[in-house]
Amino acid sequence: MVSVGTVVWLSSELMFFAGLFAMYFTLRSTSGELWSEETAKLNFPFALVNTIVLVLSSFTCQMGVFAAERLQPRRSGGLFQFARWGMNEWFILTFLMGAFFVAGQSTEYAMLTSEHVTLNANAYGSAFYMTTGFHGLHVIGGLIAFLFILGRSFAAKKFGHFEATSAIVTSYYWHFVDVVWIGLFLVIYVLK
Amino acid sequence: MKIESWLFGTGVFFFVPVSIVYGFLTDWKEWVGILGILLVGGLAGMIGAYLGFTGKRVGMRPEDRDDAEIHEGAGEQGHFSPWSWWPLVLGLACAGGFLGLAVGFWILFVAAGLAVVALVGWVFEYSRGDHAH
Repeated sequence: MVSVGTVVWLSSELMFFAGLFAMYFTLRSTSGELWSEETAKLNFPFALVNTIVLVLSSFTCQMGVFAAERLQPRRSGGLFQFARWGMNEWFILTFLMGAFFVAGQSTEYAMLTSEHVTLNANAYGSAFYMTTGFHGLHVIGGLIAFLFILGRSFAAKKFGHFEATSAIVTSYYWHFVDVVWIGLFLVIYVLK
Repeated sequence: MKIESWLFGTGVFFFVPVSIVYGFLTDWKEWVGILGILLVGGLAGMIGAYLGFTGKRVGMRPEDRDDAEIHEGAGEQGHFSPWSWWPLVLGLACAGGFLGLAVGFWILFVAAGLAVVALVGWVFEYSRGDHAH
């Protein structure tokens, strides 16, 4: 029930990002030379590392879901016995990777601002910051959701389907945000 | 769940070709329509694929058969809150937030604080107090 509702909501989120992609492509097709000038300022290797971390965080998130489906919140072995990790350990790792992505994104914004790519500078700045910025806000929302899921997990004496269900739907959201980023990355950094 | 899956999923076979046709009709210059229609196909595919996978996992449900009885669908359906004050609190926080944008920015900070209280209250409602488990 909860998961069906989440997927239907995520499909509406897809349309939200459709609007942002449409804006990006429209401005790109009407701005002429501006795009090639401004995209030259992007730091591709930096963004690639950031992207890889975010994509990997989807895998760690999924490992947390497998643990949640086993109804196992805590690890049953040592800290570095990854195979025995519970949901909490995997989700904390996912949180840290997501936080790394947001920090990297902020650093990139700072670098671009120093090269005079800002939200109100020109059409490219608007398109770049609106698309990546709204995606970044979604990532931050996901990080807050992970904190709530961890909180529920720590609050529960008996980790049951109630906790597992919310962990699973949070992972749906995280995978969705990850896939949207892959789309944004291809459009902004690869396609240019 | 085959019917539900097809009901949503067939949208892919309509919207994706239509977006390509639209692209040709507009000389690939009008991107709002191309991407909008294409991603409506994505929307349909997302829900259709999800229902398809879920259908494979749960198998035949009573509502998929013509000869099923009402009692076969009995049992636990999931967790449903009987009532809660927290959605109202969160709604007030959102209303306060928009009021802040319209009237005075300082109200936004008060509303943001209230939103944090409401979210924490809502998320942990069934994890603490009488409902601790």
